[in-house]
Formats: sequence, C-alpha cells, structure tokens
Amino acid sequence: MKRVVAILAVSLAGALPAVSQSLEDLNIQIHGFATQGFLYSTNNDIMTTNSTSGSAGWTEAVMNVSAQPTPKLRVGVQAHYLLLGSFSDKILIDWAQADYKFNDRFGVRVGKVKTPWGLMNDVEDLDPAYLWVILPQSVYNITDRESYLSHFGGVVYGKLKLSPKLGKVEYFGWGGDDVYTPDDGAFLTQTIAGYTVPNGIQGTMYGGALHWRTPLRGLMLGASDVTTGNWTGQVNDNNDSVLGTETLAKDSTPSYFAQYEKDKVMVAYEYTRNWSADSVQIPGYPDVSRSLSGRTDPREWYAMASYKVTPKLTTGAYFSSDIDRQAPLGPPRDSLDWALSGRYDFNQFMYLKAEQHFVAGTQDYFESVLDMTTLKPHTQITALKIGVNF
Amino acid sequence: MKKLFLIFLFVAAAAVDANRVRAQALVIANPKVKSTEVSKSDLREVFTGTASSFKDGSNVIPVLLKGGAVNDEFLAAYVGKPDGAFKASWRSLVFSGQASMPKTVESDAAMVTYVAETPGAVGYIGKTAPHDGVKVLAVK
Repeated sequence: MKRVVAILAVSLAGALPAVSQSLEDLNIQIHGFATQGFLYSTNNDIMTTNSTSGSAGWTEAVMNVSAQPTPKLRVGVQAHYLLLGSFSDKILIDWAQADYKFNDRFGVRVGKVKTPWGLMNDVEDLDPAYLWVILPQSVYNITDRESYLSHFGGVVYGKLKLSPKLGKVEYFGWGGDDVYTPDDGAFLTQTIAGYTVPNGIQGTMYGGALHWRTPLRGLMLGASDVTTGNWTGQVNDNNDSVLGTETLAKDSTPSYFAQYEKDKVMVAYEYTRNWSADSVQIPGYPDVSRSLSGRTDPREWYAMASYKVTPKLTTGAYFSSDIDRQAPLGPPRDSLDWALSGRYDFNQFMYLKAEQHFVAGTQDYFESVLDMTTLKPHTQITALKIGVNF
Repeated sequence: MKKLFLIFLFVAAAAVDANRVRAQALVIANPKVKSTEVSKSDLREVFTGTASSFKDGSNVIPVLLKGGAVNDEFLAAYVGKPDGAFKASWRSLVFSGQASMPKTVESDAAMVTYVAETPGAVGYIGKTAPHDGVKVLAVK
C-alpha cells in the first residue's frame, strides 16, 4: 500500500504544473460500478458460499478516479471491494498508475498496473465488461484471481500496422513484483487447515502478449505468457508460531486464444496450462508438509459464443474444461462446465444477468474444501446478478 | 429479364437511399488536424479507443454527442454498435485503466464550439448544422 501511495504521489506531482488549469482542463473523471449476485447450487456449496441454501453473499463495487492533464498522460486509481462467501470481504487497490502514450506504437504504464495476460485477465474482475455471471473457472478462477489481476511495475504496449494484407499486431510487455497477500486465494486450503502465510509471498515476474488483428475484420489471434521465479514465504500456525516455509516454484503460464467479434456475434476460445509446484516445509512434520505440498498440471480451456438478440438482450453459452494431469483419477481431477447465459441491458447504466451451469467434476468451484471426497461429482448452479455502472 | 432489371433498379435505389440516410452525420475536425479525409477503419479505431491518431500522424481526440438521431446514425455507419454497447465498450477501457471516457457534448452547436477550440478534436454533427470554424472530413 505504501508503494502505491508513493507511486501515486509521484504521478500527481508530475501533473502539478497542470494544477493551475481548471478542473475541466484536467479531464478529471469519476466512474464506478456495483453488482449484487445470487447463487444457488445443487449437491455442493460453491465458492465458499452457502449456495445450496441460496446465497446473496456476492457483492462487488468499484470506484475509479482519473485525470488527463495532457492528451498523452493519464493518471488514476481504482479501488475494488469484493464480498464473496467467507473468502473475501475487503477493499483492494485494483490499479494505481500513470500512463504515458507517446503514440499508437508505444506507450508505458507504471505503478500498480493490470496484467494484460490471456484474453480476459485485464477485465476479469470488471463485471459490466462481459455477458457472463461466472467466467470460465478453468482459466479465470475467482478465488485465485487477486494475485493475477495486477502487479507492481510497468507495462509497455503499442500497436504496429503490418500491411493491409497482414493486418495489425498489438503487443504488451510487462515486469515487476507480484504479491500474494496473506489472505490470497492461493492459501485458502492452508488457512482452512489451520496454517497461515502471515507475510504473504511475493517475487519478480515478467511476461508478454501479442494480439494479431487479422485482415479478416473482427478476428483476433493471440498468445501470452507470464513467468515467475522461486518465491518463498513464512508459514505460521494459528497461534502465530513460526512453523516453516512455503515455496512456490518457478513456473510459466502460457495462453493461446482466438476471438471473432462482428456485428451481433462473438466467438472465443482460450487454452492455458499452469504447471506449478507448491512446497511447504515444516521441520519435524513431514506428513503435514507433504499434505500441504503438491504439484499440479492443469490443462484448461474454454469455448464460448454469444449473440446479440436485440440491442438490449444478449445470450450465450460456453463449455469450460479443467483437467489436472497430476491429480489422481476421480471427480477432483477435472471440472467440465456447461453454461447458458443471458444479459439484459435496461439502459447504459443498469443490467441484469442470469446463468445456468451444469458442472461435472470438482476441480473448480471448491477451493476451500479440504476433503474433496465429501463432494458429490455433479453440481448445477443458478447464478443471477444485477449491476449498475456510471 | 425486364422484371430482373426492375428489381435490380429497385435494390440499387434502396441502397443509395440507405447510404444517403447514413451520410446525415457530418464528420468534423479541428482545423489543425492535417487530414481532409479519413478512412472508415481509422475513424472506427479512433472512436473505439484503439487508436489516437490518423494515418497522417495527427493526434486526434474523439468527441461524442450525448445521444439522438445523429449520434445513432454515426455509430451505425462508422462504429457498428448501438449507443449502449458503444458506451459499455468505452467503460471497459476505463475500468481496466486503458482510457478515459471521451468528451461528450449536448448538441451540434456545442460540438462545433468544442471541436473548433480543441486541437486534435474530431466529432460529428447533423449534415445541415452550421459548422463555422471547423473542417469537414470526407469519409472514404
């Protein structure tokens, strides 16, 4: 947080010469949105809520303040509140940045910045931006997303026109520090088991993405990857006694994606593989160490399509698959999720979403469950969400 | 053959008429913008936030009308989205930190005043609206 404040202070100090200008000249804008969700599931509670009894424990709100003191310089900050079951009830800084766009070919953002990985990572937590109530959990897991959404550092970006026959390429490169806070979803299982990572875990990461806007209008093909190093943090018990260490091994997460969007139709596909190894070392307790450690090798993909029936009504469907090749055979190894969705935009400020899921397997949605054998293999989920934005 | 020819004439007339309806929105720019014409794709990129300059290198700033028939016609002709979806796509850019919402004005007169006074501004007005102090861009 101190770093964010410092970066903001520097950014705003850079805008000080413009203070003498009127507020209108600074183009100060305030935007926000708020959503309220409702979840009902058969057989198993999902996403740390009591969804089998019907749960309204999903509320989000965002406030965004920005200024544009010159045509090329923007500074701003966005705060995000998430209440989700027993997992989250907190406000985070989504991003706080200064963005200087030299021209369409080159721009730089510094501060706490969104990480432009994959097809939807930079809009993953922005509910008004898409049709779905629940994004494909294979790739965009809601309880894991906090550490993936943004990082402390910078992004360089730009668009290069190739030729009329080859289209355009958008590029993104980023680097900096990624931070897993003590209550990050990555430590959910440990927390429920009675262990904490009191200082969180953080370390250096870097990545890049390319989006090829092909000559076929509306078709984009892309790829991205992000690489992290070996990061180590302290593990305590619930009495705050130091027990040992947790190390997240170096890994990379490539993503390959395609999207076609024209007029009323949108079709998209994304594949990613997130091989990772988590090693918890508690001296004197090898069994506990082993039970909290693990390797995973999930192969994750989804395919989705939507159609704008009327200017106010959009419908769609997706299939999401998440199979962990390192997990033993059985329902916890995979998650296959069919979703049918509809969104009605009352006007540009308010919308309603409704969605039905048919889930086979328990790889996704159940991160807080220690004993996966207690879960039933199939779950149906009904999800509703109402949102306002300005 | 005669029937086919008459049908062809009817369709051609309808197409011309449709084009004339779409051309009711006049694209205007600040006099300091170098171009006198702009491609549809360049215009679409600027008004969807994916570009901030024309091919001639001029930095441009899109300006929107708050609503109305001219706004709807411009969006249909050059952006390909209805007003609600268009504003929603801009909000996605705003909430992900990639852009600020474009300036929005209430009327053709306010548009002309703002575009005339703002270097790089590009906007649109009704075809018959007075437009002293701005240049008209031909859209090819």
